[in-house]
Amino acid sequence: MSLIKELFGQSPFGPLVEHTKKVHECVKLIEPLTEALLKGDDEEIHRLQDRVSKLEYEADVIKHEIREQLPRRYFLPVGRDELENFLRCQDKIADSVQDFAVVLFIRKTRVHPELKDLFLEFVGQVLKVSNTLNEAAVELQNLAETSFGGAEATSVLDQIAGLGEQEWNADRMQRRLSRKIYSLEQELDPVTILFYDKMLQTLSRVANEAENTGDLLRAMILKG
Amino acid sequence: MGCLIIIVLTALLGLYMAWNVGANDVANSMGCAVGSKSISIKWAVIAAGICEFAGSVLVGAHVTDTVRKGIVDPTVIASLPGLGPGEAPALVLIGMAASLLAAAVWLNVATWMGMPVSTSHSIVGAIAGYGIIAAGWSAVHWGKMGQIVASWFLSPLAGGILGFILFKMISKLILGRKRPVLAAVSITPFVVFLMMVVVTLAIAYKGLKHLTGERAEWITGNGAFLAAAVVGLLSALTARILIRRALRDKEDLPLPDQLELVERVFAPLVVVASCAVAFSHGANDVANAVGPLAAIVDIASTCTVKMRVFVPAWVLVLGGCGIVAGLATFGYRVMQTVGTKITQMTPSRGVAAATAATITVLVCTRMKLPVSTTHTLVGAILGIGLARGLAAVNRQVTRNIFGSWFITVPAAAILAMVFFLLGKVLLLEYVQQALCQVPPSAG
Repeated sequence: MSLIKELFGQSPFGPLVEHTKKVHECVKLIEPLTEALLKGDDEEIHRLQDRVSKLEYEADVIKHEIREQLPRRYFLPVGRDELENFLRCQDKIADSVQDFAVVLFIRKTRVHPELKDLFLEFVGQVLKVSNTLNEAAVELQNLAETSFGGAEATSVLDQIAGLGEQEWNADRMQRRLSRKIYSLEQELDPVTILFYDKMLQTLSRVANEAENTGDLLRAMILKG
Repeated sequence: MGCLIIIVLTALLGLYMAWNVGANDVANSMGCAVGSKSISIKWAVIAAGICEFAGSVLVGAHVTDTVRKGIVDPTVIASLPGLGPGEAPALVLIGMAASLLAAAVWLNVATWMGMPVSTSHSIVGAIAGYGIIAAGWSAVHWGKMGQIVASWFLSPLAGGILGFILFKMISKLILGRKRPVLAAVSITPFVVFLMMVVVTLAIAYKGLKHLTGERAEWITGNGAFLAAAVVGLLSALTARILIRRALRDKEDLPLPDQLELVERVFAPLVVVASCAVAFSHGANDVANAVGPLAAIVDIASTCTVKMRVFVPAWVLVLGGCGIVAGLATFGYRVMQTVGTKITQMTPSRGVAAATAATITVLVCTRMKLPVSTTHTLVGAILGIGLARGLAAVNRQVTRNIFGSWFITVPAAAILAMVFFLLGKVLLLEYVQQALCQVPPSAG
């Protein structure tokens, strides 16, 4: 038996980047979903909901594969807890996108014309947050190649540094949108308001989890 | 006639042991190059064969002395009270043959049981075992034995520390830069310089003495430092020119592409570094096979037990051939499995690991310490893991390493005791007669 052969496990970083990409594919569907919602295209929403659900499932499969190939006996260049939490957190982004799609799918909710601009602004900010995270997280493989140090680590840390503020902006937009919704409460029926609220909750969760995932990515880079 | 038969038989035994060394360990020495896909398996086998052979013939004599007479003092056995004429050399001869057989048999058994074993540990354990049974505890040089065991701890540790430092430097100075391609052009020649100086020094400085005798003092003495510096400088300059040409105008590519290019620059280096590991493996581990053989040849041709004798070159050549034979028959398959399992090993990591292992093993060889090349390399790789250079390293392997000593040393010792006692009962008279037929004038 060769000791050298026994020494190596499989690198989790390639599959982690796969997971990141899969989750981001999910996130990218928020935009067409929103368009379909504004147009009231229920068939399109149905189709996109199926697509999100499929992607979310595929991300789940990758998540399980990564967990299975990392028994405790392997020593990693990053903290194991940080890595596992990163994976869980990133997976929650896809979950939240799916929840959003389901909210649109289960009830034919229409967006009030006066809400459109604020709604689009809020969706745009959520996408901005998750884009920033995606751009940083796909660098994991390169980070591993450069042993989590040097110029590459610095540039990824810089990217993540903006996440907090971007997420805070998303929160502010959500609040503004909420106030607008309740200012129209006389015109809207309660169930519609309930579903607006659900949309906002799920979307803001996407931004929230993206920020948390970014924090864990930072922890992974800083602590070996 | 009797002496010739004895020499031929033990030479076969030594060849068998050397074959074991080749079949078991050599794949590991080239592992970094094969795993990083820097060399095809076929060429890895060929390169390993050449380097192992060169290492064993050129530098192999140092550790051979330790295995031959450093662990068990043959003169203690010779001065045992109440021995008949020719009985003392016969006892030493049987003991050495028993040790060789015990180590080889244990290696075969352990490999068959799927245990990672070191040929160095087997032979040291076997010789200590025979020493204890032949002349009691006092026949074993416990001081030297302690040094050897300490070196088994220290060599993976030193390999680990060196690997950690080397990889940290490569990653800080090259991979971690904004433009790794530019950094590679200016820094890599230093890595090449270090590597070549170590290898040249190891070969030249007192290494060639047993081949050249006193004739070539200019190269085996202090001149070796000059030679090493010259070789190092020339290789570094060549490397710089070649790397510069390979990486020209690439500094604006995206980072992943730059990293890949840098790794490609390291690919020839990891081949050279792995060859150096194979070379130092040959230098250190050939002794496991030919140490006892050299002792037997010496006794059989002089009919006396002495301390000071040069290791004959043909014995080292025989050992080298055995290693190459083992590599040719089994090494290919082992190399294949090792190569597919360690794909995480990129050329830059491979260079750090192999260079660290080479330096450590060659220093140990020069200090006449039989260490395990494989364990040293494992130490170096773990060091790179600690420097955050590897994605997933199995920490259980360290446990296997300790486990393998605790089993191998006693097991080989007990086997050697059994074989020695059997040999003493069955063969003592024959060997004694064979040795004494040689007229004293011929010795």
